[in-house]
Amino acid sequence: MYGWIWRHLPGNAWLKALISLVLVLAVVYVLFQYIFPWAEPLLPFNDVTVDNQ
Amino acid sequence: MSVRALVRTVSELCITVGTLIVLFVGYILFWTGVKADGAMNDQIDRLQRQWSKGTVAPTAAPHGSPSPAEPEPYVPGRAFAVMYIPRLGFTWNKPVLENTAAGTLKKGLGHYAGTARLGQRGNFAVAGHRRTYGDPFKDFPRLRPGDAVVLTEGSTWFTYRIDKGPYKTVPTDVEVIDPVPRKSGYGRPGRYLTLTTCDPEWGHSHRLIVWAHLDSTQPVEAGEPRALRR
Repeated sequence: MYGWIWRHLPGNAWLKALISLVLVLAVVYVLFQYIFPWAEPLLPFNDVTVDNQ
Repeated sequence: MSVRALVRTVSELCITVGTLIVLFVGYILFWTGVKADGAMNDQIDRLQRQWSKGTVAPTAAPHGSPSPAEPEPYVPGRAFAVMYIPRLGFTWNKPVLENTAAGTLKKGLGHYAGTARLGQRGNFAVAGHRRTYGDPFKDFPRLRPGDAVVLTEGSTWFTYRIDKGPYKTVPTDVEVIDPVPRKSGYGRPGRYLTLTTCDPEWGHSHRLIVWAHLDSTQPVEAGEPRALRR
């Protein structure tokens, strides 16, 4: 999977490494900004009140 | 697909899932705290700006006239007070926002909508995160009878004293935020405060409760209450 991505990135090894880094950062950003905030309420840390049945 | 490619793909998937889990734990433990600290400071700054402009909603003096003017209702999701609990740390102060929606509790403590207003007759009930989102009530079990819980809404300092707790109960035990909570030991109506958080620290099977009564009030011009002085 990662080998396939690496082979399909353009440029020489340096450029590929740079693009990979940008891709990784983009994925982490999407995770922290959208995916994790969505998944987090599914865990029990939000239940601090006595009125939710 | 060759066996080699299959093994490689499965390994890569395992590593990816492992990385995801580590990132998620980092998000829960660390990033929610960073976000919440920023949001809480924003809320307190906003309150202080509002107070310095002198647009404090007029609240009735608790020991004042028997028929005080009706104060403006709290706006859902908006901060209206700052809470100080010296036992949780000398610098511990958190904004109190109206209602206990999940989004509200990410920005501070939440006042149970429908319970009494700050300093008024009845039960002023507040919920807060034990863990994640800045860990506001992490040290909740260290609270003891006699500890001060100090709040201000801009014009008055309210000093509550804890009478009972931490008391462990179940999430459906809604009567702990009644105007006169039965298990608190209070026998008659008064000006009470209830704090709730979850227990165990990372779980949601139980709730921890403390009850306090209004001990003293003083105008902001008179300076910080004694409980906050070092």
